[in-house]
Amino acid sequence: MLISKKVILLGKFGVGKTSLIKRFVFQKFSEEYQTTIGVKVDKKILNIHGVELNMLIWDIAGETSSMRVPQSYKLGAHGVLYVFDVTRPSSYDNIQKELQEIGKLLPGVPVQVVGNKIDLLGDVRLQKFRASFFLEGVIYASAKEDVQVEEAFERLGKAILQ
Amino acid sequence: MAKDILFYKLKQILFDEEWSESRKLAQKLEEVNNKIENRKELQPRVEPILNDKVDFLQQNFSSLFGPQVTRTIKTQIKESQDEVVEALYPIIGKMIKKYIARELELLSEKIDRQLDNAFSWENLWRKIRAWFGGAAASDMIIRDSVEPKLEQILVIEQRSGLLIGSFSVTPSIDQDMTAGMITALKSFASDAFYREAEDLEMIEYETFKLLIRNFQSFYIVAAVSGALTQHFKNHIDDLILDFADKVLNKKQESTAIEKEMKTYFKKSVDANQ
Ligand SMILES: Nc1nc2c(ncn2[C@@H]2O[C@H](COP(=O)(O)OP(=O)(O)OP(=O)(O)O)[C@@H](O)[C@H]2O)c(=O)[nH]1
Ligand SMILES: [Mg+2]
Repeated sequence: MLISKKVILLGKFGVGKTSLIKRFVFQKFSEEYQTTIGVKVDKKILNIHGVELNMLIWDIAGETSSMRVPQSYKLGAHGVLYVFDVTRPSSYDNIQKELQEIGKLLPGVPVQVVGNKIDLLGDVRLQKFRASFFLEGVIYASAKEDVQVEEAFERLGKAILQ
Repeated sequence: MAKDILFYKLKQILFDEEWSESRKLAQKLEEVNNKIENRKELQPRVEPILNDKVDFLQQNFSSLFGPQVTRTIKTQIKESQDEVVEALYPIIGKMIKKYIARELELLSEKIDRQLDNAFSWENLWRKIRAWFGGAAASDMIIRDSVEPKLEQILVIEQRSGLLIGSFSVTPSIDQDMTAGMITALKSFASDAFYREAEDLEMIEYETFKLLIRNFQSFYIVAAVSGALTQHFKNHIDDLILDFADKVLNKKQESTAIEKEMKTYFKKSVDANQ
């Protein structure tokens, strides 16, 4: 059985949303930063406990101070990956408020938080970061070095199917 | 020891001058060394020279390197003519195709207007044929050149953009992703240009037109190629409304919808040809 679901990636600009998708869907990474304009839809079929999950992944341009993401892109989503950059405090300073707003707009929809670019921290600093970070259930990943990328999408997929 | 002192004195007398000279020299050397190693000290001395050189290069760049740069670019283009043509060919081809389709559309409208204005037996005969055939007279004139064709029908869930069902005459790129992108485009358009109750009705892409018809929980996209005539638009509208009424409004499994679409639209495409 094939079940289709809409997954959206949210988070501030430049945190690595596009890179995570590129890694997950195409097994590729690029150092070059090409900011996403509007939306790009990709898809990948995951097998979760024998169920074929057809994930339609919406890569949405990250918010900047002058550009808000249109709410309508988020509507109808069945799951959210909220991405921040572990080396950039401005990408997670406001995270609780952002998550609350997502919860209001998409009640009951699972949200998986991903801390990306851990390759830039190194083991010791990452340990410190994790220990002091106030959110639980965060997946720490690196699109560049392919750490925990598939796990992030898979965990979200499982939550969606539950 | 007195002998030592004496010897020392003698050395002083003999070499005093050389000593002070060599001490002075060492000091000078250290100063120079400092100047070279210390950026702050060196900068003001070297900068004017560098600035002069940069100014000179800026002013004379084109005369110094211009001919060579031009020559290199020219050779590059000459040697890769095939690549240049390959890159331009599809773009130009599409532009021409789009232009012709558009011109024919205009022509069709113009003929309609002229026929309305002028009366002749011939026109009357065309009109009668059109009444019976259900096509506008101008449509009949240009019928064989760029007849509009239904290429694809997508039924898409509002908001999520998930594909509910599809039918396509010719195989196309991934329809799941197409459905998502059209939905995103629709969202963007309504955020940017329209108010709450208004909706995007048509997207033109190259020689393709996407007709969009909105329903409550889903919407239907018909992809049409060729010159879209009012008559054909009506035909598609009827088809969509009829299909929505007979098939979609009865809640069904997605696989069942897919199957119904095949039979439903295949029939009408065949009938239209
Ligand atoms: N070192 C490192 N760099 C990364 C990683 N992921 C992404 N980057 C880099 O971060 C920059 C931004 O990545 P994107 O994936 O374009 O970010 P985005 O969130 O899609 O940005 P917007 O589309 O502007 O919202 C790029 O230069 C990437 O190469 C990572 O895991 N490690
Ligand atoms: Mg991006």
